Amino acid sequence: MSDPETAVSSAAAAPRFEPDERWVPADERWFGLDRRTIRPTLAVFALALVMSVVLPIIDAKVPYHDIVKAGDVLELEGGVTFVPEAGWGITSGLRAGHVPLSGEYPATATVEDGAMKFTLRTGQFHGDANQLLDQIEATSEALNRGRGVRLTGAPTSIVTDQGKQGATVRITGPHTAGVVAAFVFDARGVEAVATGPSDAGAEPAATVLRMIDSISQTGEGKR
Amino acid sequence: MTTTLAELDRARDTALDLSGWGRRFSFYQPRNFAFWGYLLLVGIGILVFLSTLAREYDAYGQAIGLAVTSFAIYGALFWWFTQHIDHYAKLPAKLMVVAFVWGGFAATGAMAANANDAILALYAKTFGQVWALDWGAGLAAPFTEEWAKGSGLLLLIAMAPRQVRTAFDGFILGAFIGLGFQIVEDITYAMTSAGTQFGANQIGASVGTIILRMVSGVAAHILYSAIFCAGLVYLLGRPGEPRKVGRGLLLIAIPMLLHGAWDSLAAIAGPSALKLIGLLIATIVVALAIVVRVYQSTVKREQDFVRDVMAPEQARDVITAAELDAMAGNRKARKAYRKAGRKRSERKRARYVLDAAYALADELAAARGADTDRVRFARTEVARIRAGVPSRW
Repeated sequence: MSDPETAVSSAAAAPRFEPDERWVPADERWFGLDRRTIRPTLAVFALALVMSVVLPIIDAKVPYHDIVKAGDVLELEGGVTFVPEAGWGITSGLRAGHVPLSGEYPATATVEDGAMKFTLRTGQFHGDANQLLDQIEATSEALNRGRGVRLTGAPTSIVTDQGKQGATVRITGPHTAGVVAAFVFDARGVEAVATGPSDAGAEPAATVLRMIDSISQTGEGKR
Repeated sequence: MTTTLAELDRARDTALDLSGWGRRFSFYQPRNFAFWGYLLLVGIGILVFLSTLAREYDAYGQAIGLAVTSFAIYGALFWWFTQHIDHYAKLPAKLMVVAFVWGGFAATGAMAANANDAILALYAKTFGQVWALDWGAGLAAPFTEEWAKGSGLLLLIAMAPRQVRTAFDGFILGAFIGLGFQIVEDITYAMTSAGTQFGANQIGASVGTIILRMVSGVAAHILYSAIFCAGLVYLLGRPGEPRKVGRGLLLIAIPMLLHGAWDSLAAIAGPSALKLIGLLIATIVVALAIVVRVYQSTVKREQDFVRDVMAPEQARDVITAAELDAMAGNRKARKAYRKAGRKRSERKRARYVLDAAYALADELAAARGADTDRVRFARTEVARIRAGVPSRW
């Protein structure tokens, strides 16, 4: 019988035996699984469940009430503003004067009233309103690939209360109808999208048209 | 002398056992529950990412192509850098890929992205839109993203308990988890930027984001996760790393604080661009100083393992004491060893000897300290290079 002390005292010619990486000791098996791996995995599952299921459910359950009052004006990046309809709910976007600490307003704002939704988005654009509408249509087609909401019909002109001329076109979808309007203030493009249930009628609601008409750019943004 | 050698050999066996250095890693482990958990969450993340990519590719294909190419090069450079700083008890490359994939897909699409959206919406509902814009990201991402990334290390430890043994292992794997997260997040940001001009001028709209994310990325997710995962190993304790709860909690808290500060920089700086740039640079400098300190403190154990593994080689005159010190030392020690030669050819040879000695250490680790043919060949290579004999091969 060899002396164990001697056996380890000089480098062996063959590596010491180590069980295969997939081997599980008999006393650590639970229904064929390595029981030592169950607790950490369950901990990670619990974290994933909280992040991907629990938090979104809590968010969906918490109501949001930020109702537009008469006289409210929403402001976006680049000094773009519009007057939302009183009684609609602001789901994103900031009122003019409520500037974040960074000094930058966000690039989008959305107001909703039941199934009706009005979103204004702004960004740099070099071209006129018709070119912007073409760009919006091209991007929308590429994103939707002919499915879902589509821009339909011929574009028509629209003039805001500020006198800014834009272009507008209808949008239709399986259960949605609405209108898209595009304006370009210098090199700043503005896209307004209003959608609602398709059974609400083909013509845009007066409230939507009023919001589109109110789109303008403040002096600060122009500078 | 024999007794000393025997003790040195025993110390080598202990070091190899504790460090897990040279052990193979099998990804496919059907009896490991963590393997199935990993597959499930990574699978969900890949589906989410690919569906987003497929949905947006037709519209923002140019920006996506640029972002994927740029960040692939970025990832390759980082891989090289990690190999460069890890001279010691190296982890299997397969394990690093597994870490990278967790960060890129599970931590993002299957976990943090959903939580971020929900928390930001809850902040807006509770504290108002302005507050949420100012502080929302800084008070959401450090909790969701750091834990989503860090939780991957729990699975990796369960999948590779014989390989992930020290805080430095956590540091390296954390960096790869962070790299995966960073790259996928950056590609998503590039897609968002591509849409900011209504899909026009995609390259112009996204290139600024890509460059900014690349420059700031080193001091962001890669760094945060490296520190966080080193902390997690200290908190849990491993065979090669005694449990240190205080240090673990501190190293977990630091990246969360850094991340929170980084995401709140625009609000802290206010409208002043100069202040923002100043704060940006200061945050990067502080973060880099901390990560260097964490690297130095965690790598010490790995250097000790190298010394224990190679000390019998020095005792058997395979390498010199100076070479052992250089191998188990830091960058400065290796540089001093290389520069010790008077002639250029001597300095060059010293570098090759050191490389051959590291290769011998890897062979010894793979052989668990045994005298295999590969180990003997690696020894002859050290002797050959030192003697200046050209290779037969």
